[in-house]
Amino acid sequence: MLSGFFRIIKFSFQEIVRNMSLSIMTVLILILMLLSINTLMVVKVLTDESIIAVKDQIDVSIYFNPEATPDEIQEIRGFVSAFPEVEKETFLTSDEVFNNFKKNYADNQDVLSSLDELGQNPLGPTLIIKTRDPKDYEKIIKNLSLPEYENIIEAKTFADTQTAIDKIHSITTNVQKFTYFLTILFAIIAFIIIFNTIRVAIYTQRAEIGIKRLVGATSWFIRGPYLIESFIFSIISVVITYFLVDFLLKFLDPYISVVFNKNNLLSNYLSQNWLMVVGIEFGVVFLLTIVSSGLAMRKYLRT
Amino acid sequence: MITFKSVTKKYTADSMGLNGIDLHIESGEFVSIVGQSGTGKTTMIKLLIAEEKVTSGIIEIGGWDITRLSDSDIPLLRRQIGVIFQDFKLLPKKTVAENVSFALEVAGEKRLRIKQVVPRVLDIVGLSHKVDRYPHQLSGGEQQRVAMARSLVHRPKILLADEPTGNLDSINTQEIIDILKKINEFGTTILLVTHNREVVNQLKRRVVTLHDGKIISDEDKGKYRL
Repeated sequence: MLSGFFRIIKFSFQEIVRNMSLSIMTVLILILMLLSINTLMVVKVLTDESIIAVKDQIDVSIYFNPEATPDEIQEIRGFVSAFPEVEKETFLTSDEVFNNFKKNYADNQDVLSSLDELGQNPLGPTLIIKTRDPKDYEKIIKNLSLPEYENIIEAKTFADTQTAIDKIHSITTNVQKFTYFLTILFAIIAFIIIFNTIRVAIYTQRAEIGIKRLVGATSWFIRGPYLIESFIFSIISVVITYFLVDFLLKFLDPYISVVFNKNNLLSNYLSQNWLMVVGIEFGVVFLLTIVSSGLAMRKYLRT
Repeated sequence: MITFKSVTKKYTADSMGLNGIDLHIESGEFVSIVGQSGTGKTTMIKLLIAEEKVTSGIIEIGGWDITRLSDSDIPLLRRQIGVIFQDFKLLPKKTVAENVSFALEVAGEKRLRIKQVVPRVLDIVGLSHKVDRYPHQLSGGEQQRVAMARSLVHRPKILLADEPTGNLDSINTQEIIDILKKINEFGTTILLVTHNREVVNQLKRRVVTLHDGKIISDEDKGKYRL
């Protein structure tokens, strides 16, 4: 039993070495297929990051009336922070708002001289609210539209935010749909490529399979080396692909960091999730090669 | 040793391989099966190694009914019968020694025994100096001798030879026939399917003649009569 297993391992290594060109071709195709799957992974990471970045740009600002008392402001801050949907609220005093305004319009001499003309700070304090999900802004804004707050709150950036939120929802949903479509498409392509590669490899050896049957080899004695070969090809292709992808991501990262303002975004993702990425890729490739070789060989193993 | 009882093999409704064959071959016999192409000679070999299944009838080898073998029993049958073919059927990516030892490895023989037996068998067929060659590096006669060594390595009681000299010149043909005779002298039953008139006439052994899937003559010391 054990010697049979070792013989199967010996035969599989013999087959790999003596059919070197076929072995190299098979591994190359597996690598190409894995690279396309990794492209999908990169697209997903970048899409997720884009969505986070866009969502991060959105917030709701509550502009208080300059005459609002600290107690009134405190009451509204307490009211807002009580919502579980609120992730963060930042309060800016009148002076901070005034300074920020001046900074923003530092290049506009007309605006600055108008402020000087007034001789006092015309801007009230501001509360900047950030929710966990953009769709929650609407709820916060609605709840703040109470009659007793009308004299305290001068303005809310509701309308603009609502449009942006709707757009982001639409983009996010569509991008996710497109990613799912791509995933399914790539999975189908991967299956077809692997199935045909293995089928061609086995087709070239159909005469040998027949001879092995004639000298009394059992199905498992014939199948065994192909299983071990599939295992070895899967390991080699996954390892080579990992290092290739790691190299490519390190090359891409400086360009990505310009857009997202994050260093090593892609390579960090790979290094943090390498076990999952390698595990899933190996599992998929090994399973596909085994199923493909099993289906392709079935025909030649009959009697 | 080998018994065919009313064996019929139909491939399709109008294509008959064998038609109600009755034949008994004793242990140690050397039987030549002759007949024109398509008369069922190769079908007999295919049925004996369970490559094809009978349509009706029974085939027994040493009392073992091989017509109702399960898929898992087929390898066991094949390990007990030696077979050689016109096209040699050697594994192209294995050396001479590996081709021969493969037949023992599939049967689960121990490594030490394989190491002892393979060189001995290759010596018998005169190829001990070419153990590391691949089939494509050998002549047709040498390839057939490797195939013979492979079929003999597990000491089968029956050797089936399907046109073994069909691809060989007269010198190599004679060598192969001499080896077959020698194997037969050691007690192995031999079933030789051939078209070669000279070989059959020179052997002066039992000759079974087939025509349209039926036995038309069976002579103890026969001649090629077609």
